[in-house]
Amino acid sequence: MRAAIEAHDSGADVALLSKIHPVRSHSGAAEGGINAALGNASEDDPDKHTFDTVKGSDYLGDQDAIEILCYEAPEDVYQLENWGAVFSRTEDGRIAQRPFGAAGEPRTAYAADITGHVLVHVLYEQVMKRDIPAYEEFFAWKLVVDDDRCQGVIAWDLVNGGLKTIGAKTVVLATGGAGRLYVGTTNAYACTGDGMALALRAGVPLKDMEMMQFHPTTLSPTGILITEGCRGEGAYLLNSEGERFLKDYAPNAMELASRDVISRAEQTEIDEGRGIDGSVLLDLRHLGAERIIERLHGTRELSMTYALIDPIHEPIPVRPGAHYHMGGVDTDVWGQTELTGLYAVGECACVSTHGANRLGGNALMETITYGRRVGQHAADWALTHTTVAVPESQQTDAERELEALLDRSKGERPWAIRDELATTMHENFGVFRREDQMKKQGKIVEKLRERFENVVVEDKGTLFNNDVTQALELGFLLDLAECMIPAGIERKESRGAHARPHDYPDRDDENFLKHTLTRLVDGKVELDWKPVNITKYPPQERTY
Amino acid sequence: MRVAYYKGCLAALSAKELDISTQALAPKVGLELDELDAVTCCGAGDIHEAEPDYYLHLNARILAYAEQTGSDTLMTVCNVCTLNLRQANMALQNDEELLARVNRNLEAVGAPPYSGAVEVKHLLWLIAEGDGYERLKDAAHKGLKGLKVAPFYGCQILRPSKMLGFEDPDKPHSLEAIIEACGGEAIDYPAKIKCCGFPIIQAREDTALAELIQPLEQASEAGADAIVTPCPLCHLSLDAWQSKLKAATGKDFQMPILHLSQLIGVAAGLEASELRFKRHVVSVAPVDEKLSV
Amino acid sequence: MDVALKIWRYDSRTGERKLEEFEVDAPEWACLLDVLDIIKDKHDGTLAYRKSCRMMICGSCGMRMDGRAVLACKERMQPIAEAGHVPVISAMGNLPIVKDLVVDMGPFWNKIRSVKPWLDPGYDEVTEKERIVSQQQMNAIQKESLCIMCGCCVSECNSMEADPAFLGPAALAKGFRFVGDPREGNQVERLVAYNDEHGIWDCTRCYFCNERCPKGVDPRDAIAKLGAESIEQGIDHDMGAKHAKWFVTSAKTTGWLRETELVPKTQGILSAVKQTGFALGLARKGKVPPPFPPHVADRVKEARALHDLVGQQGRGGADGIIQMERALARAEHGEAEGAHRVSPEVTPGVQPPVAEG
Repeated sequence: MRAAIEAHDSGADVALLSKIHPVRSHSGAAEGGINAALGNASEDDPDKHTFDTVKGSDYLGDQDAIEILCYEAPEDVYQLENWGAVFSRTEDGRIAQRPFGAAGEPRTAYAADITGHVLVHVLYEQVMKRDIPAYEEFFAWKLVVDDDRCQGVIAWDLVNGGLKTIGAKTVVLATGGAGRLYVGTTNAYACTGDGMALALRAGVPLKDMEMMQFHPTTLSPTGILITEGCRGEGAYLLNSEGERFLKDYAPNAMELASRDVISRAEQTEIDEGRGIDGSVLLDLRHLGAERIIERLHGTRELSMTYALIDPIHEPIPVRPGAHYHMGGVDTDVWGQTELTGLYAVGECACVSTHGANRLGGNALMETITYGRRVGQHAADWALTHTTVAVPESQQTDAERELEALLDRSKGERPWAIRDELATTMHENFGVFRREDQMKKQGKIVEKLRERFENVVVEDKGTLFNNDVTQALELGFLLDLAECMIPAGIERKESRGAHARPHDYPDRDDENFLKHTLTRLVDGKVELDWKPVNITKYPPQERTY
Repeated sequence: MRVAYYKGCLAALSAKELDISTQALAPKVGLELDELDAVTCCGAGDIHEAEPDYYLHLNARILAYAEQTGSDTLMTVCNVCTLNLRQANMALQNDEELLARVNRNLEAVGAPPYSGAVEVKHLLWLIAEGDGYERLKDAAHKGLKGLKVAPFYGCQILRPSKMLGFEDPDKPHSLEAIIEACGGEAIDYPAKIKCCGFPIIQAREDTALAELIQPLEQASEAGADAIVTPCPLCHLSLDAWQSKLKAATGKDFQMPILHLSQLIGVAAGLEASELRFKRHVVSVAPVDEKLSV
Repeated sequence: MDVALKIWRYDSRTGERKLEEFEVDAPEWACLLDVLDIIKDKHDGTLAYRKSCRMMICGSCGMRMDGRAVLACKERMQPIAEAGHVPVISAMGNLPIVKDLVVDMGPFWNKIRSVKPWLDPGYDEVTEKERIVSQQQMNAIQKESLCIMCGCCVSECNSMEADPAFLGPAALAKGFRFVGDPREGNQVERLVAYNDEHGIWDCTRCYFCNERCPKGVDPRDAIAKLGAESIEQGIDHDMGAKHAKWFVTSAKTTGWLRETELVPKTQGILSAVKQTGFALGLARKGKVPPPFPPHVADRVKEARALHDLVGQQGRGGADGIIQMERALARAEHGEAEGAHRVSPEVTPGVQPPVAEG
């Protein structure tokens, strides 16, 4: 939405296209906050923010992209406030900022613990104000590529049925992550990596696909998110012995260490028998009822509804869950991909601002700052280049393909494939990875792909048919898994979220200070590498 | 059981029959009523909307006077009074600063302060369960002879349930239990928990009538002999506005509407002078007939 | 656990409607949404419903269970299954149904748009940094900011059922989100617009919206806040406003509601005269208490004095309602509804060390 707003304000005729209503976007589930060096809670500056982000990325982030993010962030946050975002405030009426994981200063601006919700709504308000047209409940299935340009999107119209082609001079992918690859995930059902798969299938490379962040505090078994903001407010993580175990893993930052560090710590505690039913405990009791109700009201609601626990009186059992995909469509700092006319931004893109691990609060920031940049660039480009005509054959080909899928009556329903994919990815490509498990996973995905070729869609109709779209989503997920696994195997080191304590426990800057690139060539995934942009901060040892 | 009794505006005047029948019924169900005189209108949804700070103070004052009687229960006979008083009570009982401010104001005008020790309960709640229910069963010796009675709850005795909380707002049972204890047959129909439209019956008559027709039509079709309601505002719209419904839709329901205290009063053998059915716009005679057979 | 559901299937193109029963095996922690997923995956892929976040924030999965609008992802099925109850699932009310449990949210969004749902600071200039406002000022719209646009409040709105053009609880609550925002520059214009025929005063105060809202927005209270602000700003031309003001006048003069004068005060003399026939019918039964002598409450001067005193204390308009919200939230949290599992026991050790750094 931020990109659309900017494109509109830049004078372009822009439309939103979304498989769910824009206000249902999973960014709305973000809780803790949005980072910017506003300096309202302490002496802070974009340079410190940059360093924290670079270190947080385990030095895999492109530093020019990170600098842009950190330097431009403050103004973007003020813009949001001007538009009416309901931020929590300091004693003197400024935007309040709380401490967050791996941040040297408290710079996470927040709205209680519903920051994402507040931002999604303020953006949608601005979309409504500008009357930006929205193709709501249109499922983007294919990109139109012709003449070495991306010329539009072919989408399934969910409400009325049928494939519709929408031509455009520029297309911006902002489809979010692919947490649904994992059985325990904070992500919504909608997070199936659509944009990344669309780009992949259009021949565009994906970067750092093996980097999936596991958020340390998610509920079992669903993976529902319990915000880092709890720890920002002072919550403790305890093992079955009542100990704050992070003293052994991150003695300085403790509960506010980097997410990958904490997830690994938790997983280790659990694996070594100091967990409780596969979880550790997040203790908020000492914060007191008043504070919990004022600042962590949403968390309490979630805990009571899904864990049947009132955090005022009991600690919440939590465990790592797939949360954020650092990897994605390879873009430059203006969101441009290799394919002319195709842009990507946000979680589905990889600039890379997050490298091997993302700081809490930086994702929302990226969607806003890069959203603005990409919207502007996509608009400017579109306004200075010729219109295109979409070749009809593209739609008819797509229709034929879809018909073949719908015609199939003998085969398997998608759920078994989907569930197996998610369970095995969790087992074999989770917080800790090993060569033999990853290779095994590769074979499992191969078999699942074979089964997917025979998947059956039960709803053959055109009226609100999300049975067919859910099947297509599974295809996207398989594509992405096929990229993630080879990338994971070839990265023979531990860096950030990619942890290989058994075979390659250390970071290897000499050989692997580079991004993985996965691309589809003749229907097969090929791996390549791309250097990291290092401007200011040469890699150092990373401890918290 | 001794209770402070707040009758509210309608029971004091246009729905006097509610007050008279309540006062006559009370001793029969073991209730000793301590009538509050130095009180005002509770404000209804109107003062809550027009001048909410004043609404809070008016209700705090009523609660203060109730507390002064020494009872720990303030009994109401109107849904709207019940919600208004309970809401104000909850606010005062859970915010010391707010209570302190309100008390300063009460004392400044010569009214007693309130300490938060009163619980507000509708007559309905006092006799729908427990000891009250046992006494009700004893009192209803004359019975209703299987009279088909459709309960109409009225919004503000059920919702918002976090302020009322006596029963499940979507599956209430108190009126049914009372009807049965009195020997009547409770009629079920979907609109029994919906709105009669009274709050907007003057400002938005068409909307209100479209709401009002639902319980009347449904209860009629289900074969009810009468409708009973614990709220005099609902009673007023159901009873007095039936003629307007007839004018608007041509449908003449002729459905007798009884106050809760009247329904029980009939079963308990109250006199006509205590029931005051003659004050109703729609004749209650058909009910009398059914019961005297 | 075994769970059984009945679902109202519907196809808006054919008009076909039927009630189907399903029985499935679901995990103990399953919510209604999880059960629907199992049905769609394993029993009937044509079942249509919306979903996304499954954590009560996106607002996609509003539907009716036994006639009450709920978020499917919020309703735990275990107590229902244990009680042996078979709930009936249907689409939300007051909106056209597209298919099965999917409603057309178009009319809903149209009403939202009609309240101009974006901040209008009243000046074009963007401030260099953030506008300075206190947390207390922002708390005025804390509840309305919680709205996830799910439609549950609209589903059972009794006014909207009777008057489909009623703006409705979601749109009006969104309206207060702006009227109450200290940064908003066009409060008065908004209030005038919301005082329209199908606006604030069309609300019947049935409180279904408060009861149904899964996020605690309490739209009816937002509507009351709009009413309070309107009257404070002198926007009182609507009959609803006049009706409400007469209650205030009554309380501060005689203490009791001056019922008989209520009609002409609300609807005007002319309209009152037109209803003479109706009024006489009521008068014959003693339902029109004569305005003279006035029915005056004991010690009414306290009520009069209170009005003046309270009016000077700066909690006019919506503040009168907002001031109660903290207390009411506290009253609620004591119950901890829905939480009844005791967290796994942690061996009590030494008091954990205070956080360093």
